[in-house]
Amino acid sequence: MHISDGVLPTSVAVGSFAASALLLAWSARRTRSEELPKVAVVSAAFFVASLIQVPFGPTSVHLLIPGLAGALLGSSAFLAIALGLLLQSFLFQFGGLTALGANALMMGLPALLCGLLFQTFKGKTRQRKMWVGGLAGGLGTALAALMLAALLASGGEDFLGVAKIALLAHIPVTLVEALVSAMTIGFLARVKPELLEPAYLKHPPVHHD
Amino acid sequence: MTEVLRLELPLWQVPLLLLLPLVLLGMAIYALRRSLRQRSVPGEEPDWSVPSLEEAAGHSLFHRWEVRCKLVSLLLYAFAVASLQQLGPALAALGLSLLALLLARTPLPRALMRLLALSGFLTMFMIVMPLSAALRPGDTLVVFAGLEWLEFNLRGLQLAATIAAKGAAIALLSEPLLATAPLPVTLQGLSRLGAPEMVGQMVLLSHRYLHVFRQEALRMAGGMQVRGFRKRTDLPTFHAVANFLGMLFVRSFERTERVFEAMQARGYQGRMPAPLATSLRSTDWLLGGVWLLLGLLLVIFDRWVG
Repeated sequence: MHISDGVLPTSVAVGSFAASALLLAWSARRTRSEELPKVAVVSAAFFVASLIQVPFGPTSVHLLIPGLAGALLGSSAFLAIALGLLLQSFLFQFGGLTALGANALMMGLPALLCGLLFQTFKGKTRQRKMWVGGLAGGLGTALAALMLAALLASGGEDFLGVAKIALLAHIPVTLVEALVSAMTIGFLARVKPELLEPAYLKHPPVHHD
Repeated sequence: MTEVLRLELPLWQVPLLLLLPLVLLGMAIYALRRSLRQRSVPGEEPDWSVPSLEEAAGHSLFHRWEVRCKLVSLLLYAFAVASLQQLGPALAALGLSLLALLLARTPLPRALMRLLALSGFLTMFMIVMPLSAALRPGDTLVVFAGLEWLEFNLRGLQLAATIAAKGAAIALLSEPLLATAPLPVTLQGLSRLGAPEMVGQMVLLSHRYLHVFRQEALRMAGGMQVRGFRKRTDLPTFHAVANFLGMLFVRSFERTERVFEAMQARGYQGRMPAPLATSLRSTDWLLGGVWLLLGLLLVIFDRWVG
């Protein structure tokens, strides 16, 4: 769920814009030019993933993948997510123009944290990568929901009800996301394990044709 | 007015005041969604589900406006609108956005798409806010006889309506802001304004990949359906979705790597050679000034009403 225009108090909207700009600059500096297309891939995948509906009982939820983006990109994840959100806002109006900073913080900070978590604890075996990946995926969504609720609640006590509903609505998403992230990480660990290594991002394999 | 006013209404008004607006809203959203879907079904029609920002032919005021000036003044104006707190000024802003939309003459379905994307979030506000807004002195509570536990705070409803009006105003404004110049020009304008050039390049790359990916995703989803895959709430479905996502990543990474190597082989060094002719004319400044003045007037109007 993205915050739309006019919901947040002006000070919060402007403040989160400034914070996101700083984080974006940091994330962009840590991204080398060879990695740019990969970051663009994750931005675009971040976008496409939000179009995938997963059934959950009578309703369906769509994936948010902040945790997966973090696991794949590490410190560049913030850049990828901010760009994905910019495009979503420009094209689809998912998330308002003036709330872009807040939305980037809400998704990007959990992604950075989960990326760190995944890279630190992923271990060697595929089994362990799946467990840690699932944890990172679930945690990423849960943290994003918490930040959404906190941002909404910054509007004053009138917004507490909306913040609570938003938090509750993310519980099924968190469960689905944890399961799907674990299985996606498992798939990648089997099919293209080098994607999960930050070394792959730092030194792309040399092709000799 | 320091007391909380309780308005008690008879029970038979529940369908009239509560259910009718909800049903009407639901029907409006449903009709909008249907009409947009039908529009995109015939093969020759453009696919609006991923609206392209690139086709920006037109000769309106907004098309001729210099891109940097447009970005700065409309973004500042958007922040001014977002800071409004009263319903009246927010509705005035909505009216101004409609006017801008008419002046810019961008395709209407896209503006409707934007409103549709907003509708879920804003509907949640409209339903939850009247029920959960904190009680303050001077508020009016509406209760229905027989349903005393359900208290509707009119101030909450007003707050939600203000938010909806502001959200819709800025959403409609993004059409004149973004769809009246090709995306590369808008991004170049952003980087001329100080945004890192790499960010603009990345947005362009992702924008390209977006369409490629969506095609790929649709193709894969079609393949799954043909093989008899149906979505359910069970582990195999999650497994299939996870593999789908993983495959999307793998294929896209490989494809992107090839494309990027090809780009580098052709001398790509982090920027596309596309000179942007920029000359700020006095009409650009004038137009920017007018929008900033409008934003300022709205804010003054807002404080004066409140």
